[in-house]
Amino acid sequence: MKFGFIIDNRKCIGCHACTTACKAEHAVPVGVNRTWVKQVEKGTFPHTRRLFSVMRCNHCTDAPCVEICPVEALFTREDGIVDFDNRRCIGCKSCMQACPYDALYIDPNNHTAAKCNYCAHRVDIGLEPACVNVCPEHAIISGDMDDPESEISRLLGREQVTVRKAAKDTKPNLFYIDGDEASLNPMSTEKGGPYLWSNQVRGVGHYAKETEKLAFSSGDVLGAVLENSGHGATAGEIAGKGPIRSIDILMKQPRRVYDAPEKGVLWGWEVPGYVTTKAIAAGLFLVAFIASVTGVAAINDVADWWGLGLGLFFLGATGILLIMDLDRPDRFLNVLLRPQWNSWLVKGGYTLTVYGGLLTAIIAFKFFEISGWISDLIQYATAVFALILAVYTAFLFAQAKGRDFWQSPALVLHMLIHSLMAGGASFAIIGLFTGLQSDWFAYTNIIMVISIIANLLTMLVELTLTHPTSEARQTVDMIIKGRYKNNFWWGTVIFGNLLPLAVLIIMGASDPTMVALGGVVVLIGIYLTEKIWIEAPQKIQLV
Amino acid sequence: MNQKKPSLIEKIAESLRIIPNLHQQEPDPANRITEPGDLTGFPPIEQWDHWEEYEATSWPKRNKRNYMIVPTTCFNCESACGLTAYIDKEDMTVRKFEGNPYHPGSRGRNCAKGPATINQIKDTDRILYPLKRVGKRGEGKWERVSWGEALDDIAGRIRKALQEGRNNEIAYHVGRPGHEGYMERVLQSWNIDGHNSHTNICSSGARFGYAIWYGHDRPSPDHANAKFILLISAHLESGHYFNPHAQRIIEAKMKGAKLATMDPRLSNTASMSDYWMPTYPGTEAAVLLAMVQIILKEGLYNRDYLEHWVNWQEYMGALKSGQPVTFEGFIEAMMEEYADYTPEMAEKESGVPAATIVEVARQIGEAGSRFATHNWRSASSGNLGGWAVSRCLHFLNVITGSVGTPGGTSPNSWNKFHPKVFSSPSGQKFWNELHFPKEYPLAYFEMSFLLPHFLKEKRGKMDVYFTRVFNPVWTYPDGFSWMEALSDENMFGCHIALTPTWNETAFFADYVLPMGLASERHDLNSYETHSGVWIAFRQPVLRAAAERLGKKFEFTYEANPGQVWEEDEFWIELSWRIDPDGSLGIKKHFISPYRPGEKVNINEYYQYIFDHTKGLPEKAAAEGISTLDYMKKYGAFVVEETSYNKHLEPLKPEVLAGSTTHPQTGVVSKNGKAIGVVVNGQAVVGFPTPSRKNEFYSQTMVDWKWPEYAIPTYIKSHIHEDNMDRSKGDYPLVPTFRLPTLIHSRSANAKWLYEISNQNPVWMHPEDAGKFGFQTGDLVKINTEIGYFIDKVWVTEGMKPGIVACSHHLGRWRRPQDAKGNRWGVNTVKIDNDGKGGWKMQTIEGIKPYNSDDPDSSRIFWADGGVHQNITFPVHPDPISGMHCWHQKVRIEVPSAKDKYGDVFVDTNKSFEVYKEWLAMARPAPGPNGLRRPLWMKRAFKPDESTYYIKD
Repeated sequence: MKFGFIIDNRKCIGCHACTTACKAEHAVPVGVNRTWVKQVEKGTFPHTRRLFSVMRCNHCTDAPCVEICPVEALFTREDGIVDFDNRRCIGCKSCMQACPYDALYIDPNNHTAAKCNYCAHRVDIGLEPACVNVCPEHAIISGDMDDPESEISRLLGREQVTVRKAAKDTKPNLFYIDGDEASLNPMSTEKGGPYLWSNQVRGVGHYAKETEKLAFSSGDVLGAVLENSGHGATAGEIAGKGPIRSIDILMKQPRRVYDAPEKGVLWGWEVPGYVTTKAIAAGLFLVAFIASVTGVAAINDVADWWGLGLGLFFLGATGILLIMDLDRPDRFLNVLLRPQWNSWLVKGGYTLTVYGGLLTAIIAFKFFEISGWISDLIQYATAVFALILAVYTAFLFAQAKGRDFWQSPALVLHMLIHSLMAGGASFAIIGLFTGLQSDWFAYTNIIMVISIIANLLTMLVELTLTHPTSEARQTVDMIIKGRYKNNFWWGTVIFGNLLPLAVLIIMGASDPTMVALGGVVVLIGIYLTEKIWIEAPQKIQLV
Repeated sequence: MNQKKPSLIEKIAESLRIIPNLHQQEPDPANRITEPGDLTGFPPIEQWDHWEEYEATSWPKRNKRNYMIVPTTCFNCESACGLTAYIDKEDMTVRKFEGNPYHPGSRGRNCAKGPATINQIKDTDRILYPLKRVGKRGEGKWERVSWGEALDDIAGRIRKALQEGRNNEIAYHVGRPGHEGYMERVLQSWNIDGHNSHTNICSSGARFGYAIWYGHDRPSPDHANAKFILLISAHLESGHYFNPHAQRIIEAKMKGAKLATMDPRLSNTASMSDYWMPTYPGTEAAVLLAMVQIILKEGLYNRDYLEHWVNWQEYMGALKSGQPVTFEGFIEAMMEEYADYTPEMAEKESGVPAATIVEVARQIGEAGSRFATHNWRSASSGNLGGWAVSRCLHFLNVITGSVGTPGGTSPNSWNKFHPKVFSSPSGQKFWNELHFPKEYPLAYFEMSFLLPHFLKEKRGKMDVYFTRVFNPVWTYPDGFSWMEALSDENMFGCHIALTPTWNETAFFADYVLPMGLASERHDLNSYETHSGVWIAFRQPVLRAAAERLGKKFEFTYEANPGQVWEEDEFWIELSWRIDPDGSLGIKKHFISPYRPGEKVNINEYYQYIFDHTKGLPEKAAAEGISTLDYMKKYGAFVVEETSYNKHLEPLKPEVLAGSTTHPQTGVVSKNGKAIGVVVNGQAVVGFPTPSRKNEFYSQTMVDWKWPEYAIPTYIKSHIHEDNMDRSKGDYPLVPTFRLPTLIHSRSANAKWLYEISNQNPVWMHPEDAGKFGFQTGDLVKINTEIGYFIDKVWVTEGMKPGIVACSHHLGRWRRPQDAKGNRWGVNTVKIDNDGKGGWKMQTIEGIKPYNSDDPDSSRIFWADGGVHQNITFPVHPDPISGMHCWHQKVRIEVPSAKDKYGDVFVDTNKSFEVYKEWLAMARPAPGPNGLRRPLWMKRAFKPDESTYYIKD
């Protein structure tokens, strides 16, 4: 048995009945949708039409949301329905990054992820999903695709159907008859309103919390909101500044005239924050470890203590930031206690935990001055976990199938290099007040110089070579010449890399202070870079 | 089926209680109603008393809820689609609404507005108790009163008026009616000509065009069986009857039918059409006549139908005297009449390419009797002479012989049920000239939108004025004139607003009496959604559910939230209080047909109708239940499966007895009234016209001083290109179109609808926008004849160049002093009046989140509530149909730097002038024999025939 949907665009009249029937069935809050009807206009007068496309969960055979969910809150039933259990959900939003179809949202009532679940509660008693039932045109067809006599099988057998983003290889089980590229391909139209009949001035779903705060804080905010919507703004002001959001009619280009409200950036500052603290936590150990194994530089005891202590501290900070990012922080233990082992969040969570344990063990051994092969073994094991810790987010991001830019193999390198940069930088700073010798500064200097050069090369690869899809290309454009261009060129490239590189090359050998200063700049640069790397892909429309 | 077994870690963690145990034993699963893999739409009706399903919000936990499923009908648009309320037995509240599979019109399916009914029921801003104004009318101050107090006060006032012969000072003004036959009974029992409707701002234009042809005033296309469908409407998203028609139009399309749509803007319907014909508004009749001409020329007409069912002999006799009266002569004469209507001429008028017109005409001709059409609003209600559009559209049905055929277009009344009520008062002995003034003898409904002007002219007064689902201040043209009149106690003595929620008109009431929403009252619905006749029963679902459990009620409000009444019971109660001793002859009409001497109750009222509904008693008996219980159970009943060719129904011998047949025309008359016609040697019913046929030639038009319109013609609209000074920025504005999600001013209490649609920009083609340098989002000043409004521009390829359009529905408002209501879609405005007719409205605050018992109210993410455009329109009464001609000639301007979004200005002195200009076009009664109105024509709430004659 395998349930699927057909959206028959020969019949859909864009009435939105499915939207409200779904809201009624599932008590879906205002602002978020499990199903909605995207509308796109194409053509020039009078050869023009409005396309209606019902958007929702595709109940993929290889559902990326199921794969990435750390707590098995999302799961595929034996009948093919991708269902969810909000009692398990921790609100990490990784499913929303993984789904290429933007099918999920955070429910503002219980702060957990939700989406179309094919009305599994109805299916289990023999009823069609609520949207199928309400549709005036029977344009939504549900049924068992394994039964050759079912209506859906007959249509699939006879009609030309298409799916959204076939290249994602998720094997969607929602098919469109008469699907149109202008509507199904998110890149065919500009995202964002105001749309024909609707406008949005506040956040929804995950950001509904912010909305509530905003709405009741002060009149000023409301005033700003009204102005933002063009409400209350005078014609003079609009003429001066231009309309708040002016969409030029691009002749012959399709145009989005309705879509569900914008959900905003799901992973905010906490995520680049934790990627940075994690890089420091892993890098500190790796840099000290490399030095001790190769013997290129000697570290003193005080600095060693600082390194270990700060490693543990930044590891703790990583954990805290991770939890802060959750919409259900109270359930953070679920990552460890209800693990879904395919998820890199779980693997990462355990890595964090084990790494923390190993660091603690090293500190304990050091404190009690225990040495010997067990101590050495722990050192090597910690190094392995530090490596995993440094790079696991690249695998997590790769699981986030919705974000093409993160699908780059170079991301592993990027994470590793950032870790080395962070470790070198941190130790350079530590060195300044722990009385380390010049060989140590030379060592951290060379670590940083090499890793910055490697970092620049990696970024070059990431931004030029590896992204075949238009989504990824658009992200790159956004970074190098779009809304992030200042942050990228000034923040990442010049401030975060070239400046420290120059300082380190020119003055690094002679002046430990400059090395340490270079280290400070490098750390800030890492955060700035990660912020761009994490935020920019989230600005790409999935629908 | 569901989740995997928990991992070892999870098991341990759960058993150590570190995390909650999610793997407890689930209760027994609820029963499946199908085989695994099979799905069905609805719970079987046997289980409607006790229906168990899982609660979606706690899924996948198997939380079983037990519901009672009670059918009722939707009240958002006019379709009255079936709904079923899911009433949770634990707390007896409505959980949700789904469709009713037994409803023949909607067949279990709904549009977006159906499920959103639950928003309206649970609206935290709704009015729950009767309110009486304190302070000045319109000041916004209210106090709670008891129903008894309100009923006694109003009843006393009515009684006094009736006793003093001021029957014409009492009126009931309704927006969306429903209530088949109910109000007719009430008002006629009071002996008042007191019905006023919204029809003249809605459909009377189209109605007249049909009525002048064949006596029936609306079309009922059999879309599902058509081969070609022509819409001068947007029935895939709106109109009477959106969801039922949309279902059947697409059904036909899937079977191969072609769809053509005339509309200057790209409606969803136009978008789905095989042929989008973007006509210049008001030129549709020219295109239709060109199509007629092509069909005639190419011999694609239905000779049989034309020969037998058109009064061509009368036409030849009246206008072609001297020519031989032969059918061939008739065809030739028609071709001559319409010789000017070439495809090229139609293209020049309408902008639709001649080739398209020819192609569509041929397809129509080939579809023959399977040609379905509809004309609703838009063209017929937008233009001076708009009635000619439906007249010319029906012309196409006539020449193709598709009137009343399978796949064709039937008269609406063939598909509409007429209830037999237990007591029918005779026609009132009054003719209220505030509703049917002499100037508009042919007006196809009350001249309701002229009421404020009539009152200003002191033509009369409204002492007791009820408004129900009616919001003229907002919905009507010239709302400021309504505000002026409603504020004046000399014009409106007492204004009682019967409404479930606040609205702009209720702000100017003396009493605001809360009435039930869709599922909180009784009603009987029957609409021409397809061939066949059906009835649907609206019932207050909480009452019905409690009654199923054995609870007894005297009144519905006992089961409703707060003290929300239902109108049906209100009118019974009020009527008893008007005539407590029976001396006015009113009370006798409200005595139970089953319990002599006692007050009729609502169950008995409907029981009587259902007991007298063809086929229903048998059907109910087969199930061993009463007819009322049958309707309570299923919510609907099919009276006739199909209703084709009813004009061919033979006159029964008992009817024929004592009749005479006119030797030339074949018209069968009895007691001076035409009752049928002899065609092909058989006496049949025919159509309710003087000739009992389709009247290509209308003697009525000639008799009532409009000889130039004796036959179907094209009338140039008041917004015709000839009347536009393009150099000054003149444009026709199409302000009439609806959205599939909203309905006039009664959906702002539905959050799920407003989150989808919350603004109404002005559509403009890029070429036109370019002339003013407009981009989407820029402000535009739309100057009407009496003022202006400031809206945003929406530049789109979906708009015909040279035309602009703006949907109504949006731009709802309240003043700061007014009660809060419908806050999902109501702007707060400041209204200033200079005391000399100048009114300025400015938006102080848009839509914003607010705290309430519904957490969603704090999640409102939109800020724009749209702009109120209708209030800037003057009245435009069509001199014949009486229709308000909605389309506006507007002057478009770039706003000045100070103009703000949402600004509105109107000078009511100018409104009055425009009223006078249009009034001057009328050709007043009397007609022949001193008549106010042709006797054969329908009239709403028909008074006694004696009132038809003007006595001086």
